[in-house]
Amino acid sequence: MAAQRALPQSKEALLKSYTTRLKEDVKSMLENFEEIIKLAKGENDSQLSRMTQCEQDTYEMHVRAANIVRAGESLMKLVSDIKQYLILNDFPSVNEAIAQNSKLFRTKQAECDQKLASLRDDMAADLYDLEEEYYTSIYK
Amino acid sequence: MKTIMAYSVNVSVEAPIENQIQEITYDGQEIYQAPLTLSENLAKIAQKIDFSKTNGEDIKKESESGEKGEEDAKDSASFQSSLWPWDSVRNKLRNALTEVCVLADVLAIAKEKHYMVLDPVPQEPAEVKPMIQVYARKKALAGAASVIMMGADRLKNCQNELARNRSTPDFHIELLRLRQNWRLKKVSNSIIGDLSYRTAGSKFPQTGMFEVTKAEEEEKSSTSPPASPSAGNNVSGQTHPPNSKASALRVTIPSELQGVAYIEVLCQKDQEDLCSANISLLNNSAHSSNADMHWQQKLEAAQNVLFCKELFSQLAREAVHLRAPIPHMVVGNQIMATVLPGIQLIIGLCHSTGNDKKPAAPPPHKSDHDHVLEHSLHQLLREVHHKNTHHPFPHPSSGPLGPSKRRCLAGPTAADRYELLEMTKSQTLLEQIIQQAQHYFMRLRTEYVLDTIAKEVKDPLIVSHWNALNSPTQSCVKINILTHGYDTVCRTSLVVHIGEKSLKCVCRDGRVMHMSYEPQELRDLIFCQIYQHQITAVQALAKCMGWQFLANSSHLGLGAVEPLGNASSCILASPIGDRMIAVRCEPQTGVQVAIAHSPRKDFFPGQLVRERKWENLGGSFKEVRWDKMEGKNFLNKMELLMASLTSS
Repeated sequence: MAAQRALPQSKEALLKSYTTRLKEDVKSMLENFEEIIKLAKGENDSQLSRMTQCEQDTYEMHVRAANIVRAGESLMKLVSDIKQYLILNDFPSVNEAIAQNSKLFRTKQAECDQKLASLRDDMAADLYDLEEEYYTSIYK
Repeated sequence: MKTIMAYSVNVSVEAPIENQIQEITYDGQEIYQAPLTLSENLAKIAQKIDFSKTNGEDIKKESESGEKGEEDAKDSASFQSSLWPWDSVRNKLRNALTEVCVLADVLAIAKEKHYMVLDPVPQEPAEVKPMIQVYARKKALAGAASVIMMGADRLKNCQNELARNRSTPDFHIELLRLRQNWRLKKVSNSIIGDLSYRTAGSKFPQTGMFEVTKAEEEEKSSTSPPASPSAGNNVSGQTHPPNSKASALRVTIPSELQGVAYIEVLCQKDQEDLCSANISLLNNSAHSSNADMHWQQKLEAAQNVLFCKELFSQLAREAVHLRAPIPHMVVGNQIMATVLPGIQLIIGLCHSTGNDKKPAAPPPHKSDHDHVLEHSLHQLLREVHHKNTHHPFPHPSSGPLGPSKRRCLAGPTAADRYELLEMTKSQTLLEQIIQQAQHYFMRLRTEYVLDTIAKEVKDPLIVSHWNALNSPTQSCVKINILTHGYDTVCRTSLVVHIGEKSLKCVCRDGRVMHMSYEPQELRDLIFCQIYQHQITAVQALAKCMGWQFLANSSHLGLGAVEPLGNASSCILASPIGDRMIAVRCEPQTGVQVAIAHSPRKDFFPGQLVRERKWENLGGSFKEVRWDKMEGKNFLNKMELLMASLTSS
């Protein structure tokens, strides 16, 4: 899977690989389940002794069960990969977020500018009065 | 078929003609087993031979190979001499040897596969009860089921865990937030982000890559031995507290961008300590102490570090290239530039990567650190970034990007060579910041001069008003000179424009004076203005009082030579014309006032002046002891003097 994911240069191939992964995993689950059921029937005769056969079947069932679990977890991983892919490549939403952010910051900036300007005006007026008062007083 | 053993009587046993019955169906039909083939039969029978029992007997083994004949011959030859005591031992050993040899030969032949093939032998089916098989299958299925259940449980637990602690958001939600604020891309299996200002117009070569990984779960780190939590970030101590607000996302920043950085701007007078040691908080061994910081702050800090580095490298480059009368110095991470004679501007890059910075090192300089200039530096670099990305419209599709708007207009407006050359001149960041620093010092000096004069000179009040609208390199102050109580009578105002290295003063009469950065020049100018103000104020007062204004000179050529400016004077006559007041103001000695009575009231004819009429020509002036005069200030005294002279 990893090698498969490393290969695709274009997004198209990557998306295709996601589809194949999905199909493969589901197919693997189904096949393994079928095999387990077949083993449970136990009709296959072979040259092995019965005990050996039983042992082998047991082992095979375990492996196939583990395969089903693996396929399930692989599906979870696939879901997470697709989520990640969506997050990283969803440019419209990113643009939207950027636009929103910049709008937010612009309004903030305008707000700050306005506040600063009014503060400056107030301070300038007050400073004028204070300067007047200070320089005409005898306490310098 | 064949006799197997022969003791005394050969008994031949034949196999039954009938085959073994395998099964009898319900309708009585018998199903026979297929008869064994010859080779199978042979093999089956041969298997029954107990070779160990043929010991000592001189019996030919009925085997396929003909090679055994030699062995047997040897065997029989050795059989005759069985006389000495170790004979049985020897025989046993010999037999053993024989058997081993035979085995070796058989194996050799069997390997060849030309003459002999080893075949499995159908045995009697082992008695396995079907129930056992069923149990075995059941057990196997149960095992498989448990494996699947365990896997399912694990997945379920994962989901439940996520659903339960909603406080720590999902990795993907965090990633989405990160993506909305930072540039990310997927490179093979890892997510790489970029925090540099490239997209904002920076051309700094250093990359600002960071890696985004999924933080491992808290449970894992708590249950595992203490070595493992530090595996993810091998830097933080083993005792990092399990913070409740753990993020599902971990951001790894290159080591050169870790920590906190800022640009330190110092203005030093004189050369007290040229090589200060305030850079010692650089690169102390420890790595980031902020492993548990939120990624947003972490990235912002790293971005700031990158920005500071870019700024500093830009400044250092300019400092090296720039030609200044006193060359700029770049030592380590410090740039030193001379702003005004005796004043240095020191710009340093402080980058502390650890939490163990010495608290003792920064304080001596902290007070000098100029936040305004630091902010200006940031602003200047941002402007450069902005210019790099925002080219004036319209862009020619085939032309180079970047010529300024003025240059685009140079063609249509037919600019000449001089104008074009002027356009190519641009100021570097360092030049601009030096200009700002120069202006800052000019402003400080002007303020100081004005305040000290206001303190020194009490009589005319000197009121200065600073303009609130100014730029980083230009500001403006308005100075009013007026006398308390007489501010409507006369008021002298002048405006001083403070530039980078010079002052421009616009006086009341419209004269413009240019001054250098030396504060003494401004001081002299203000003093001149003060005494001119006194004279004009007296004249204005005289008008109000009905006195006549006979003569006025603002640059009197009489008297001692003044070190600065000239003395100014005026002569006033009373309404009737019998009294005169002469006022002389000079910056050095202050105000001198003299009065004269034109026809003296008491006339005593003398030898020289015999008649009273000659008294009308005007008499000698007598100086008034000005410090003994009544009155609050100069104009008040003048008013009182005039009033008393008029009335008497």
